[in-house]
Amino acid sequence: MTTPLTVTRIGHSCHLVGFGATRVLTDPWFTTTATYYPGEPVASTVAALGHVDAVVVSHDHYDHCDLDALVDGGFDLGTPLLGPGTVTPIAAAKGFRDVRTIEAWQSEDVGDLTVTATPGRHGVHEVTFVIQAGGRTVFFGGDSLRIPEQDEIPRRFGAIDLALLPTNGLCIRPMNLQQVVMNAEQAAELAAVLRPALAIPHHYAFTSGRLGDRLITKSDRDPRHFAEAAARLAPGVAVRLVTPGTAVRLP
Amino acid sequence: MTTTVPAGSLRPTTTTRTTVDIPPVGAVEITVADRDRSQPFLLLHGGGGVATMAGFADLLAERTHSRVLLPTHPGFGTTPRPDALHAVADLARAYVALLDRLGLADVTVIGNSFGGWLAAEIALLGSPRVSGAVLIDAVGIQVDGHPMADVGAMTRAELAAHSWHDPTRAPAPPPGAAGPGPDLQALAAYSGPSMSDPTLLDRLRELHLPVHVIWGESDRIVDTAHARAYAGALPLARLTILPRTGHLPQLETPEELLGALLDD
Ligand SMILES: [Zn+2]
Repeated sequence: MTTPLTVTRIGHSCHLVGFGATRVLTDPWFTTTATYYPGEPVASTVAALGHVDAVVVSHDHYDHCDLDALVDGGFDLGTPLLGPGTVTPIAAAKGFRDVRTIEAWQSEDVGDLTVTATPGRHGVHEVTFVIQAGGRTVFFGGDSLRIPEQDEIPRRFGAIDLALLPTNGLCIRPMNLQQVVMNAEQAAELAAVLRPALAIPHHYAFTSGRLGDRLITKSDRDPRHFAEAAARLAPGVAVRLVTPGTAVRLP
Repeated sequence: MTTTVPAGSLRPTTTTRTTVDIPPVGAVEITVADRDRSQPFLLLHGGGGVATMAGFADLLAERTHSRVLLPTHPGFGTTPRPDALHAVADLARAYVALLDRLGLADVTVIGNSFGGWLAAEIALLGSPRVSGAVLIDAVGIQVDGHPMADVGAMTRAELAAHSWHDPTRAPAPPPGAAGPGPDLQALAAYSGPSMSDPTLLDRLRELHLPVHVIWGESDRIVDTAHARAYAGALPLARLTILPRTGHLPQLETPEELLGALLDD
């Protein structure tokens, strides 16, 4: 009998992934600033999350690493927090007592969970994650670019149940429109490589505000572009567009 | 300085009960939950008063389908100004307090001339409600070798010649409008005799908001050296120079100004 696998997107790249009763929080983001808007409802406060067994953080950008919100919201700072070496010192400085640094292909066990950092690339140092427990395997893509090193993931981990993939192809205007996040087409290519039973896009609704969208960032805010590309490039992969707060139960 | 606030908290959903009357049924009470995520504009006029901005406010609202707030600076247009209110920074704080009172967020603050200086000061206050600023032919800074024109000493014709690329397009002054009125007294109270703040440019170097600097190429009140100085100091700036345009783009070339504002 397989372990039930559930996922609820909180907003942006922040998800609560449940392997049975074991719950993992990804890339926490619960606040806004003048130039960072979720662009979608945020489905939970920190206080309403309930018990969390581990937090994984892909990189130290504010909209993925909102540790101040966890601290302010009364989050249990004894919860293991896993991330690359650019994240864990920040977490330790904010009072997290059990921080574990993992870089690509390094693993850490937290109770029944095994969390492995996998390759990522972004405007700053970033890793992606493969999170496993009870025979289930989840890939979490943060807001990484699509890079060839990710082709190694299925060879190492075999069947993947769920892939959580960024899709907005974010480009930074002041950096000559340099792309820092995979776009819908590239996310669909990655889905074709990972061949998960289900792929859920994230990191698409975000906006920098009215002027910021014109002067700072450029992004694709339509998640249907991923569904359309995946149907073409990864026809065996089921895709579901999930609004925040919707609990998805995998078969 | 970046202020973070809980997601959704700047504009909480408000639920109200409203009673409408539809004869012959009579009173019907309706409960409405109101969610507002619109992206408003706060439009700030210069020394010429609110009339210099009213037409552009209409255009901006119609063409962007947005909420456009056009305040009259206290003391202009016969509105009251408290004696204690005589600094640009204090007026800026008053407008942020207004945004708090109205519960707005993702506000783009646009100002022309003195209003541009005011927009910069508002941006510097770090309110999470203000997501960007547009400085249109803004006064407020000092640029070596490019002094601001001495508008106080000018005749009306000289002022038009300095303010317009093509002074023949300037509207005729309303009859009886002669001499310095209360608007100019209010302007002097806020901006002081130099119409600038020598600390402003350095303070803007730390601003982490997007700012669009838009300037009339033919502005002879504050020339384009001021535009380049503003844009050069701001970390997240875009500079657009409007050809065949003077100090008041919203009056002289409003379509070109609107296009520059909305360009991707
Ligand atoms: Zn990022």
